[in-house]
Amino acid sequence: MLDTQTQSTATEAPSLRAVGLFKSFGHVQALRGASLEAPRGKVTALVGDNGAGKSTMIKIIAGLYQPDAGHIEVAGSAVTFSTPGDAVAAGIATVFQDLALVEVLDVATNMYLGRPPMKGIFVDDRRMHEDAADRLQELRMRVPSVRVPVGMLSGGQRQAVAIARAFAQGSPIILMDEPTAALGIRERRHVLELVQELRDQGRTVLIISHDLETIFDVSDYIQVMRLGRRVGSRRTADTNRQEIVALITGSAAADEEELA
Amino acid sequence: MTPDHGPVTPAEPGTEGVPIARADARRGGLVGRLIKSSQATLLLFILVFAAVVAVRNENFLTFANVVNILRDGSYIFIIAAASTFVLVGGGLDLSVGSVFALSSVSCALFMSVGGWPVPLAVLAGIGVGTLCGLVNALVIVYARIPPLVTTLGMLYIARGLTWVITGGRGTQSLPDIFGAIASFRVFDVPMVVFYAAVIGIVAHVALESMRYGYDVRATGGNREVARATGINIKRTTIILFIVSGTSAGLAGVLMASRLTSGQPSIGQGLELQVITAVIVGGTSLFGGIGNIAGTLLGTLMIATLNNGLVAIQIDPLWQNVVIGIVLMLSVGIDQVRRARMWRQAARGSARDA
Repeated sequence: MLDTQTQSTATEAPSLRAVGLFKSFGHVQALRGASLEAPRGKVTALVGDNGAGKSTMIKIIAGLYQPDAGHIEVAGSAVTFSTPGDAVAAGIATVFQDLALVEVLDVATNMYLGRPPMKGIFVDDRRMHEDAADRLQELRMRVPSVRVPVGMLSGGQRQAVAIARAFAQGSPIILMDEPTAALGIRERRHVLELVQELRDQGRTVLIISHDLETIFDVSDYIQVMRLGRRVGSRRTADTNRQEIVALITGSAAADEEELA
Repeated sequence: MTPDHGPVTPAEPGTEGVPIARADARRGGLVGRLIKSSQATLLLFILVFAAVVAVRNENFLTFANVVNILRDGSYIFIIAAASTFVLVGGGLDLSVGSVFALSSVSCALFMSVGGWPVPLAVLAGIGVGTLCGLVNALVIVYARIPPLVTTLGMLYIARGLTWVITGGRGTQSLPDIFGAIASFRVFDVPMVVFYAAVIGIVAHVALESMRYGYDVRATGGNREVARATGINIKRTTIILFIVSGTSAGLAGVLMASRLTSGQPSIGQGLELQVITAVIVGGTSLFGGIGNIAGTLLGTLMIATLNNGLVAIQIDPLWQNVVIGIVLMLSVGIDQVRRARMWRQAARGSARDA
């Protein structure tokens, strides 16, 4: 079920790092020297309270914002993303919480947005729709039709399409911003299976979530942010909810190496 | 979780919708799509109107008069095809009527006053339109002035320049060879109709099947989403307005050829006819939705109404009233149809959930 593109990523998925990021919006300092490490081929969860800077971090990695200071590294080398297109070209696909899909376009077109399959100078519309149908079937996702405008789908169906896009694009690094927020229990479980499937394919996954249950179910590593910087990094297997909650709320002190 | 629960695994109960099958990826049949499309109503309207007029005036459906309708429609359609892209891309270009006039008189003056050879004057005349489009594009993208305001400004600027450089008078008569560009007839059909046909085909293919058309649709559908998926929305938007200005320039040069002179008063209100043709053809003012076939029908509707109302001796002063009513009706019908479609889809999702 893997196409050649995703097979190649299975052995070569790069790691993702952010080093000392600063970002201000007017007087608000969203990031104050925030760092992040997402090891290759693993699921890393990024957690933190509202306003901790998680969304700003993910938007910088996706190329939507440019940091005031600090840099991003993909596979160990520093990269600069001036536009989201640069991040996509570097192999980073993002499942955004709020800006995921174009409502007036159909499911298949949304799945291949920005990189439709081409036949010479023409978009291969037929292959795009067939591939989209195949991909959704592989992922056991259900939508009325790949020719239905996304605006006609329910919240869960939209989330399914957004995630299927990350699969379809074959990107080695996948960022997910609150992928389970709009979902019911069964849909949530399905999405978590998909995240694990992404890891099994060898991709590097960075997932933002408020939901500790989701995080402990699915992640290999947890990185905690508070007030615009990282306060702790843990292997999921070596920690527990009490410790993570304490780091999130600030009732436990930040790790010493983070304060350097 | 293992990756081997592949395509054969039955879907879990409770997940929404119905399973996707490959067969589902096919489009519906041509007839089915036509009946469902908003353009069917429009086509029906044009045919009924033409039939009514033909009964009352036997000269209406003659070859010569149909060619007249096509010729008059060609100038609108050349610009409207480009404007379809602009509206699908989430923009609006109100300056096309003025740019049409400025390009037309510029081309004429390059020949009559400048003494330029015909091919150079033609290219320069079209270039004037391209330049206006480029100015629109840069102001919209880099100064971030909304398209409505920017192109309204250009409407005044280009019209003003048209009056200034002509002194308000038509230019002297231009060489016959220049007149042949638009008016030379093949099978009794003037060349401008063939140009419009070629432009329509190219525009249709570009919008439906080329990467640029997909980028335009995504940009007009949701700029932020398009940007986040790596589409270069600035470049996409700049090209939109350059193409729009160029199309107005081309139509203007062709009109100078048809009139064999540059007339500063042409094209007033043309931008409204163009937008009407595009919107009546089913293109959304809010971006993302629209196609060239609809714009062709919208153009034919305007050209047929203009010609037919005269043929049945309705005072030409009433023409605009009729066009206004048809515009409101067609958009109203389309919205009711869409609202019903969305309600049905919403019910479908709710039932499956």
